[in-house]
Amino acid sequence: MRSDKSLRKGLFYGWYVIAALFFMTLLAIGSRQGFGVFVETWEKDWGVSTATVSIAASVGWLVNGLSQPLFGRLTDLYGGRKVVIPSLLVMGVATIGIASISNIYGLIALYGFVISFASGGVSPATTGVIVARWFERRRGMAMAVLVAGGSVGGLIVVPFMSYALIEFGWRTAWLIVGIAALGLGVPLLLFVVRSRPSDMGLAIDGEESQDSGEAEVVVRPVGPSYVDKWRDSFSSKPIWQLSFAYWVCGITTASIAVHFVRWAVSEDISIGTAALAFGLLSGINAVGVLAIGILSDRWQRKNLLGAVYLVRAIAFISLIVLPGSSAIWVFAVVGGMSWLATVPLTASLTADVYGVRNLGTLFGFANMAHQLGGAAAVILFGWAFTVWGSYDIPFAVGAATLLAAGIVSLSIREKAHSVRYVQVPVGGTAGSELIKQGGD
Amino acid sequence: MAGPIGTPFGAPRVPLLHHSEPIDPTLWEWLSAKIDHVLGISPGVAVMVLGAFIVLFPIIVMIVAARRRRGMK
Repeated sequence: MRSDKSLRKGLFYGWYVIAALFFMTLLAIGSRQGFGVFVETWEKDWGVSTATVSIAASVGWLVNGLSQPLFGRLTDLYGGRKVVIPSLLVMGVATIGIASISNIYGLIALYGFVISFASGGVSPATTGVIVARWFERRRGMAMAVLVAGGSVGGLIVVPFMSYALIEFGWRTAWLIVGIAALGLGVPLLLFVVRSRPSDMGLAIDGEESQDSGEAEVVVRPVGPSYVDKWRDSFSSKPIWQLSFAYWVCGITTASIAVHFVRWAVSEDISIGTAALAFGLLSGINAVGVLAIGILSDRWQRKNLLGAVYLVRAIAFISLIVLPGSSAIWVFAVVGGMSWLATVPLTASLTADVYGVRNLGTLFGFANMAHQLGGAAAVILFGWAFTVWGSYDIPFAVGAATLLAAGIVSLSIREKAHSVRYVQVPVGGTAGSELIKQGGD
Repeated sequence: MAGPIGTPFGAPRVPLLHHSEPIDPTLWEWLSAKIDHVLGISPGVAVMVLGAFIVLFPIIVMIVAARRRRGMK
């Protein structure tokens, strides 16, 4: 294990890994978000309705959610590199395949199933594991940078696809993005990303390691709730607390995402104002997630997570109590601060409590809860609006669930469970687990 | 069941992005028109500028990572 001082002079190699994963996230999430740009074109080309095109997106949402525990488990077993590279490869090939489809069934098959399934392999359930294995002291910041890649993807790849659509047509737009994934993304991952620092003879955080004489094994301290088998985590409280809160995160983000325009229209707000509010929210959430990342490496993460949910609850309440013209801006600012911040906090807390050995599986389940909760909420919010002609009741329910998520998050006993506060000493009862954690 | 704006689940009319939900096409149309108005660049130039970022970013990361790895040897 390298520990000479020359290694510490340069930037820790883990940040290069983050940069590569950032680009992959930018490309993968950006291209998935870009789907919406093509809806009207497909409607005209294929003579189908928005509802029909929406089937591909809806199927994709569910397939993506269900795939994440599977990819998370594979990441735990075989390492992140062996999951993210084939996943991006499949995404790239399927993205190129979209350029050749001629009907809605091809779109459902390629986007709804293949791309959405493979994108589970480049989701936080897998990339978060790589980050957690490279970083411990600055885990929150590293996770936040990675998550911000999704925001930047929306700002770069979505406009790129839109302009490529205008300039070259939709088939060429998808072809270019697919080629970018295969020609740039995959080589970048192959060259830069390693599943863990020990693969390059480095230690976590770039710190000097105690040379054990066994270069393949990294001995890391673990917390009192560390689990060797992922199923064991379900007999402790934190995984339920984190998953419940993340389920609420899915409910509240998905419902707003889908119903925001309808709400704005029902409040006599113009599309232009809604778009400006969206732009403001996007900018604030990118800044917010990085700020939360920095703070989360200094403060208790559960306090920040609880605060994030409570802040989002305030944003929901503002939609009910304020006039629409004011509420939309309050929501953009207050909600924007909380929009992405749950992802790095939940992933980092899960790793802190249960260790990184089973992080992919556990965070994969949390992501699945997030996606399924979101899908159900979208339907229920639509049903509620149809019945009551107003979003007040569903927004009130959303605010109530957010308050509950905030309280539940604050009730996590981080100082009793997290490796940041309680470490099982090397050579203690969990000594063998320590060795496995670094060496698996 | 009819969702918002006549879609079954509302998707892909999605203005506020969380993870990887598709962007709302109507909002994007409005936004891109505003961007065009403010920047005044043609779609071809926009593709070149944004494409340059997409191409250069991974190449630069690979170059600096290679230099770092050489420095570690």
